[in-house]
Amino acid sequence: MELRIENLTKTYSNGVQALKGVSLTIPPGMFGLLGPNGAGKSTLMRTISTLQEADSGSITLGDIDVLKDKTEVRKVLGYLPQEFGVYPKMSAEVMLDHFAVLKGISNRKERKDVVDALLRQTNLYDVRSKNLGTYSGGMKQRFGIAQALLGNPKLIIVDEPTAGLDPAERNRFHNLLSEIGENMVVILSTHIVDDVVDLCNQMAIINKGEVLLHGEPLKLIDTLQGKVWKKIVDKTDVAAHKAMFTVISSRMYMGKVVLHVYADAQPDGSFESQPPSLEDVYFASIVRHQPAKV
Amino acid sequence: MFWEIFRFELRYRILRPATWIYFLVFFVLAFLFMLLLGSDIEGVNFSIGESGKALVNSPYMITGLTTGLGLLGVLIISAIVGNPVYRDFEHNTHALMFTKPVTKAGYLGGRFLGSVVIAILVLVSIPLGFYVAAISPWVEADKFGPNSFLAYAQPFLLFIVPNIIFTGAIFFTTASLTRSMIPNYVGCILIWVLLRVATSLVADLDNQTVAALIDPLGRAAYTDATRYWTLQEKNHLLIPLSGLLLTNRLIWIGVGILVWAVAFFRFKFSYQASDKKNRKQVPVQQQAGDVQEELAAGPATEAKKETARLTLPKVVLDFSSRFRVKQLLRMTRQEFLSVVRNVYFLVIAGAGVGLLFVSAGQIGKIYDTATLPVTYQITDILGGTFGLFMFVIIIFYSGELIWRERGSGVNLLIDAMPVPGSVFYLSKLFALMLVQVLLLVVLMLCGILVQAMLGYFNFEIGLYLKALFGVNLIDWWLMCVLAILVHVLVNNKYLGHFVLVIYYTFSFFMPQLGIEHKMFKFASDTGMFYSDMNGYGHFAWPFFIFKVYWSGFAILLAVLSNLLFVRGTESGFGGRWKQARKRFSRPAKLAATCGFVIFAGSGAYIFYNTNVLNDYGASGETEQAMVEYEKKFSKYKNIPQPKIVDVKLDVDIFPEERDVNISGTMWLKNKSKTPIDSVHVQLSPDVKIKYLRLAEPAKQVLDDRKQGYFIYDLDKPMQPGDSVQLRLDIAYESNGFTNEGGATQVVYNGTFFNSNYLPFIGYTELGELSGEEDRKKHGLPAKERMKSVYDSVNYMTNALTPDADWIRFEATVSTSSGQVAIAPGYLQKEWTENGRNYFHYKMDTPILNFYSFLSARYEIKRDKWKDVNIEIYHHKGHPYNVDRMIRAIKKSLDYYTENFTPYQFRQVRIIEFPRYASFAQSFPNTIPYSESIGFIADVDENDPESIDYPFYVTAHEVAHQWWAHQVIGANVQGSALMIESMAQYSALMVMEKEYGPEKMRKFLKYEMNQYLRGRSSERRNELPMITMEGQQYIHYICAERLYRRRFTQRRPARLPRQNGIPGSAVHAVAGICEIPAQRNARLAAVCDHGPVRKHYALRE
Repeated sequence: MELRIENLTKTYSNGVQALKGVSLTIPPGMFGLLGPNGAGKSTLMRTISTLQEADSGSITLGDIDVLKDKTEVRKVLGYLPQEFGVYPKMSAEVMLDHFAVLKGISNRKERKDVVDALLRQTNLYDVRSKNLGTYSGGMKQRFGIAQALLGNPKLIIVDEPTAGLDPAERNRFHNLLSEIGENMVVILSTHIVDDVVDLCNQMAIINKGEVLLHGEPLKLIDTLQGKVWKKIVDKTDVAAHKAMFTVISSRMYMGKVVLHVYADAQPDGSFESQPPSLEDVYFASIVRHQPAKV
Repeated sequence: MFWEIFRFELRYRILRPATWIYFLVFFVLAFLFMLLLGSDIEGVNFSIGESGKALVNSPYMITGLTTGLGLLGVLIISAIVGNPVYRDFEHNTHALMFTKPVTKAGYLGGRFLGSVVIAILVLVSIPLGFYVAAISPWVEADKFGPNSFLAYAQPFLLFIVPNIIFTGAIFFTTASLTRSMIPNYVGCILIWVLLRVATSLVADLDNQTVAALIDPLGRAAYTDATRYWTLQEKNHLLIPLSGLLLTNRLIWIGVGILVWAVAFFRFKFSYQASDKKNRKQVPVQQQAGDVQEELAAGPATEAKKETARLTLPKVVLDFSSRFRVKQLLRMTRQEFLSVVRNVYFLVIAGAGVGLLFVSAGQIGKIYDTATLPVTYQITDILGGTFGLFMFVIIIFYSGELIWRERGSGVNLLIDAMPVPGSVFYLSKLFALMLVQVLLLVVLMLCGILVQAMLGYFNFEIGLYLKALFGVNLIDWWLMCVLAILVHVLVNNKYLGHFVLVIYYTFSFFMPQLGIEHKMFKFASDTGMFYSDMNGYGHFAWPFFIFKVYWSGFAILLAVLSNLLFVRGTESGFGGRWKQARKRFSRPAKLAATCGFVIFAGSGAYIFYNTNVLNDYGASGETEQAMVEYEKKFSKYKNIPQPKIVDVKLDVDIFPEERDVNISGTMWLKNKSKTPIDSVHVQLSPDVKIKYLRLAEPAKQVLDDRKQGYFIYDLDKPMQPGDSVQLRLDIAYESNGFTNEGGATQVVYNGTFFNSNYLPFIGYTELGELSGEEDRKKHGLPAKERMKSVYDSVNYMTNALTPDADWIRFEATVSTSSGQVAIAPGYLQKEWTENGRNYFHYKMDTPILNFYSFLSARYEIKRDKWKDVNIEIYHHKGHPYNVDRMIRAIKKSLDYYTENFTPYQFRQVRIIEFPRYASFAQSFPNTIPYSESIGFIADVDENDPESIDYPFYVTAHEVAHQWWAHQVIGANVQGSALMIESMAQYSALMVMEKEYGPEKMRKFLKYEMNQYLRGRSSERRNELPMITMEGQQYIHYICAERLYRRRFTQRRPARLPRQNGIPGSAVHAVAGICEIPAQRNARLAAVCDHGPVRKHYALRE
């Protein structure tokens, strides 16, 4: 079962064009959707999750028409939105059981088993009877993935799950995601490159409602082989460099600035070769698609 | 600092659209109220309270309107003044704000005063709206006096501004300290509870001071200050700022300042509302070791990816409809619990229950004497008092339920679940409906508790269930559907609440705006009026049909709500509309079709009943008919007509069918000095005439069925002294039901109708439109006042039923088996035939042409006073005051025979009739007596404050056997003195003899109150007793004057001597309740078929 998105467009009533003809084919396995804030990731995710209408285009999951046959999609969907809340005065166990009922798990015993298993898996078992209102951000996020995994989903959509988590929680979360089976389509949207590096074997980069790149992370990195150059400069020189070269990223390093520049050949002797990373792929694709700024 | 914050608040608020929306809403409301009061729009009959006929722009009226709108204004004040500090918490800006170098005084003071100024500016729209309406070209100039600035400004400064300060301080403080807006809703409700307590206290004259003081908005104090104002005072005086009103204003402004002081001292610039909460909210921490371990494990490794696979137990997913139902039940349960576990729900419901117990003490008070807490009284209170709380709960929790997921952010999780949208919608609807059931159960228990507390143990559980769950519940359920629809449509919680409040207000005024047909007013019905005697009677069926009709409509609304229900992030109306068209699936279509079929089918049936089987007469049509009557027939006003001298009738009452057949003869005699060539006969237009002819050869020259006017030309004119027989066979039949549910004269158990059902001879001015303004509206000349007492021409006729003097009377009345039928006269014979009971009554002395017929299942209690038979016909469950009535009859007969003349009859009968009307009326030796004004009175002999009104009403009615049935005035001024004032005086004397002069004080205080209130809406000058006319409120105070005069014999008598009143006595009607039946004798039959009024006063 693969997810096919074709020519999906969406314009909000305030005129913002969130999706401009997005087409993607997503095979089973972990798929990373990388893009900066406001790229249209969440819009795309919500549209796939049946929570939002598209203006035109189509989405199919196997032979399910996602935009029309929402109920069928929901039967196989596990969704963890970017932002969500919980009933603060309900315990994780009760609420998960409630979700299990909504998912259609009618057998009480099965429900109990699966809820217990998920709580163990997400390491929430010990605090299962505590009110959700008392959970920390990471615990809440793990609870979120637990509910998404209820009812043997075939399509799992995880929207920016690690934003705001501390490193330990992020690790824990990655471990959880990595255990999800390969038979289902898992879409992970994020603006953190490491998330994709750690977890995904397919990815796409999206910005301003358009797909910029699409493929396997390693292959994408390969395309930049020998084209990324590094130079450490003073802060005052950054502007000049940006005007002269295609600077794909700049970050502070011990009071100086490390620049990564995209060029087919070494720009000059002051640059040294830099083995490309996925981050470079990401920034390069965004920078190259932006209208040149002076 | 203060000024910066103050100015910021002003600037921020002025730029908010909400501020302008509030302003506009109130401006429009004020404008409309004033316009409706001040204009003459066809079909619109708008009035407020006891406004009487005061000028629309008089200070009195503007104050009344201002304080009225001020009630709604409280909502706005809570939104505006409650908000400024809460806003910082809502938007999470408090952390930014509190870390700035602001002082507490500057912050709280600036925010508070800024928003108070905004609230004042917003509510200035009220006087502004009034003023613009007053100077608009659409108002009638003669309803207005000169516009004075103070008339508009004073109520605003006296009521609105202090109320903003007081209620604003409360809302500001609660919202700032609790950091939540919800307590403000509760605050609104509690203020409203105080208002209600004040109003329910006003009923007792002794409580008026307390009532005037505890009303936080000052309306009760205003009412108190102007209660007895005459029209002149109302039109010209400003509301005096003194006495109770001043005290009230000072008290509540003081309370406001105190409350604000609490805010100032308790408020903390802290992140959390209180330390306590901090402790509770401590987040659960993972075991420290656990975290370390995870950290050590480092990022997910390739190896881990390969090996660790998520293994979850296999589950079977169930999408069968059976499991859908289970899901629905589970969701419903959860939603239901979320409401009833909410602390504010408990507060609102608790406040309602508290108010219930306060008002329970005032049950059915008449003259400060309560009635027994019979179940229907209790259910009335439950429905009435608690109704608003139910409504508030529906408005509020429909919003809470709709926004529950979105409020806590669970919505996206839930919305992506494989559950049909209808499960979400229905679970919320059902939960809200269940809440209503729960509330009604609580109410029922409260009712029983109240009854037990008052020492009444006849719990009619069946009636409770019927009244609460059979009648009340469906209305609340319909309201639930509507409320949820509004919240779904509006998709903004606060705006949704506001829309529903406006709807609620508007629904009160719909009839006054000319929307009378019950088919156009959501959830309405023809009324469901309970009487112990007749149960719900014939009201039950139309009620049921109307509820089916509205349920059909509600199904359509529910389908619409379900289609537009917000799921996912699509919340704009356009997007949802597109979604809805996709969602309109087969089950939805099926439900909509069912709803439509039910709605249209029952609607057609209702229309057939109200408009085809029955004449749907909007109120304007009745008026029009009266105008036509006058225009067409007033030319016959002075032509001589014969008088009825003998009536012999066969009356067949069919209680089950609610039909009456009347056949018989009337002898008409020419008592004038000229020959009469034509006889004018009038009948109610509702009648079915099978036969109506003179026995002499005559030609029917006019047959106006619409007006019920018939003229017969005699071939041979009647010479003076000649008689002619009128033979008749007529029927009054009930077909289906009317927009009001149907007439209440002939009912299943408790039929009572009078001689209005029979022909009237000649034209009568009583059938003309009487209201001055109404006449003017229809271009009729001002009506001449009553004939002068010195005009001897009129001594030959009387004001009330001018078509007869004294008559001979005989009637055979039949009714269904099990019932007793009663007419004036002595029972000659009683038999059963064809399964029906027959009673033959005959009078052996002449009586007025004023008689009644009654039929019901009665218990009869008999007694004797000398050779006079006393009989009380009462409902089986109403034995409480029967002995009291018998005692009153005996004492009355004692006093009247000793002081006036012998009693002309050999029997006195009191006959109970259902509480569709609440009066007692004296017919010859027959006194129909409503079940509501004495039979269930709870007179406490030991309580000096408790007035024995069953005794008093009985004495009054028995007195009419003299004052009306022996001595009667002509159709001239002053005749009312001899009927009402004398009967009242007589009753007072009997009362005094029985209870002593001390006890009379309280009673007389009530009489005085009635007089002063009556006077306050009188436009014409008051006339001396001898020439009194049509000013009913004077009749009774005259008796009081007569009564008091005995103690001041030495002062010159202010009263005319009685033999100074000419008039050889012709005719009159007596009744403690002088309803229009008297003044509009001709139309009484029409009126009697009119709407059943839900609220009754002893005397209006």
